[in-house]
Amino acid sequence: MSGIGPMYPNEKPENPYVLVSYAGHLLGNYSSRLCAGCGYGIIGHIFTRLFEDEKLDPKLYPLVLGIGCYSQMLLTVHYATQKVLSLHGRAPALATGMKMANPLMKPIIFTGDGDCLGIGGNHFIHTCRRNLDCIILIFNNSIYAMTGGQAAPTTLFGAKSTTTPYKMFENRSDGVKLALAAGATYVARTTVAHPRTFMKYFRKALKHKGTSVIELITPCVTYFGSKNLNNLGSEYLGFKGEKMDTAGKMIDWIKRNSVRINQAKFMNEEELFNKYILGEFRYAPDQPEYSEEYAKIQKIAQGDR
Amino acid sequence: MDMGNNKRFLPEGKYLMMGNIAMSEGALAAGLNFFGGYPITPSTEVIEHLAVRLPQIGGVCMQMEDELASINAVIGASLVGAKAMTATSGPGICLMTETISMAANLEIPFVFCDVQRNGPGTGYVTEPHHNDIGLMRFAGNGEFQVITLAPMSCQELYDLTLVAFNFAETYRCPVFIMSDAYLGHLHEVVKIPSKEKLEKMVIEREIPEDITGKFSYKDESTGKYIIPKPPIMGTDYCPGMFLSQPHSLEGMPTPKPQLFTEMMIKKITSNIDKIALTDTYKLDDAEIIIIAYGLPVRASYRAVDLARKEGIKVGIFRLITIWPFPDEKVKEAVKDAKVVIVPELNYTGVIAEQVERVTDLNTPIIRIPNVCEIHHPNDILKVIKGVAK
Repeated sequence: MSGIGPMYPNEKPENPYVLVSYAGHLLGNYSSRLCAGCGYGIIGHIFTRLFEDEKLDPKLYPLVLGIGCYSQMLLTVHYATQKVLSLHGRAPALATGMKMANPLMKPIIFTGDGDCLGIGGNHFIHTCRRNLDCIILIFNNSIYAMTGGQAAPTTLFGAKSTTTPYKMFENRSDGVKLALAAGATYVARTTVAHPRTFMKYFRKALKHKGTSVIELITPCVTYFGSKNLNNLGSEYLGFKGEKMDTAGKMIDWIKRNSVRINQAKFMNEEELFNKYILGEFRYAPDQPEYSEEYAKIQKIAQGDR
Repeated sequence: MDMGNNKRFLPEGKYLMMGNIAMSEGALAAGLNFFGGYPITPSTEVIEHLAVRLPQIGGVCMQMEDELASINAVIGASLVGAKAMTATSGPGICLMTETISMAANLEIPFVFCDVQRNGPGTGYVTEPHHNDIGLMRFAGNGEFQVITLAPMSCQELYDLTLVAFNFAETYRCPVFIMSDAYLGHLHEVVKIPSKEKLEKMVIEREIPEDITGKFSYKDESTGKYIIPKPPIMGTDYCPGMFLSQPHSLEGMPTPKPQLFTEMMIKKITSNIDKIALTDTYKLDDAEIIIIAYGLPVRASYRAVDLARKEGIKVGIFRLITIWPFPDEKVKEAVKDAKVVIVPELNYTGVIAEQVERVTDLNTPIIRIPNVCEIHHPNDILKVIKGVAK
């Protein structure tokens, strides 16, 4: 990382958690390289806050990141964490190796939507299938933002991007449904507009033994917002809308476009089209966990059954 | 096979072993405790054998979902202090290249066994064909150097795997073992030395005693580039951030990769005397020199013996390390040669090209290319006789 992003000028950070972020620890002030209005700042901050509050041991909770905008979150996360920036989509596979070589660890994996559901879909499925003890956070901003606004597997129907300049016509992939089908034992979805819910889910995931998948809907103002209208998709039916070019409009849109899970039970498929369902989808704490099961195999191999 | 005790080392003695299994046992002796693989003919016996053996010694053998995952798991395991390896064949390396390049950048040690098969594409999967030699040197984007060792028998598969792990620990780069479908499936007697002897040979992964200083690539007293011991995540000996980006001597990311690239290349090339293993056979008075590596060496030995009986002065210069190519040593060996013969198990003659590069322009170089078929000693003898006339 060459160069540091913009900082608050001459402003003393009142928030004590700022000083434990990587940039805050180095420079004594908040700093990030993310765009204005990006949701990743919120996620990074919540992560740092939880890391500090829960007094997590950095040696036991390594951070594995894929490639995406969130790779720049390195400046925002807790300074004490041990981090690996892995290849595009391969973070769950790398974390599998780490967890198996040192079963005391519980890797926390940061992935994006294109990272986890696109190029690394296979690794994601099989990590969930093994029920490996780790936390996978999927940051879903509906677009490939780092490369400049291309369509992602999660781009909503009818949305515009630089590679779908007329409209997106493919079906989107749903990270939560995929995780449920693959066998992850804790699956939840929330948005950055609900930070306290995220904190609750994350705390639960930390205590859960098994694969926890939390999908976070986050706004991308620079690319997704500036290309799309707040009545996304329906402009083809003649409705006019407003450009989602500020963080406020984008957060507002996310809230409007989300449905609680208990509400969604009473809605049909047509009503749920292009909507995000929020809530906890599965919590199965008693399922066998991979590294524990492997330890049993080792005992069998060593002769004491 | 009798496993003896459930320990890392097999009891001292002689064993009849398949090449792939000898390689696996060599890795176990070298301290292997993580194997991530994906079955591919002809390397499958490696993962099959290690799936039995690794849990016995408390290690982990994982069959991953694909080659991409297996190499990434290997890197992850190596990061947290395991000695890790993977085994695959040509198509597998093609999938693994991106991570090989990343591992080279992060300087993560790991060993990679390539049991070569015929190509391109799916090819003829059960036949030996040394057609991945270029791949084993240039796999991955970016400029970096790797080490490739070429054993020729099951005994050497055992011994050189141990050496490969030591090279990986010392130079912190990907180390390849060049096996092939024939060698991998060959059954031969392997002599396993005593536990005490093996323990002395192995370089273990450990945290240096003095870790008070910053994690640095610079020798404090001389200011020169050094290769620090591999960091281990989950301990105090860890730089905190692993980015596969160019780093400076202090270990911090840098936008000016000139020095970094130089370090990546020089860490191997400046130690070439220690890395380049070679062997000679009746070379002292030889006028005709055979330069060979891997399987063709075996046929060459016989051909040389037969030719010597007829009074032809012929000798063998054998490459055990093929990458980095030992320029100086080859130059020295062939300087008085009238003719150089390079029998290879591929048509292009990758190593013959390298020999051409370093030899005198007047020295003729005769290639004996064989594809998917091991050289018969008579093939080589015929060429020797033809040249000697």
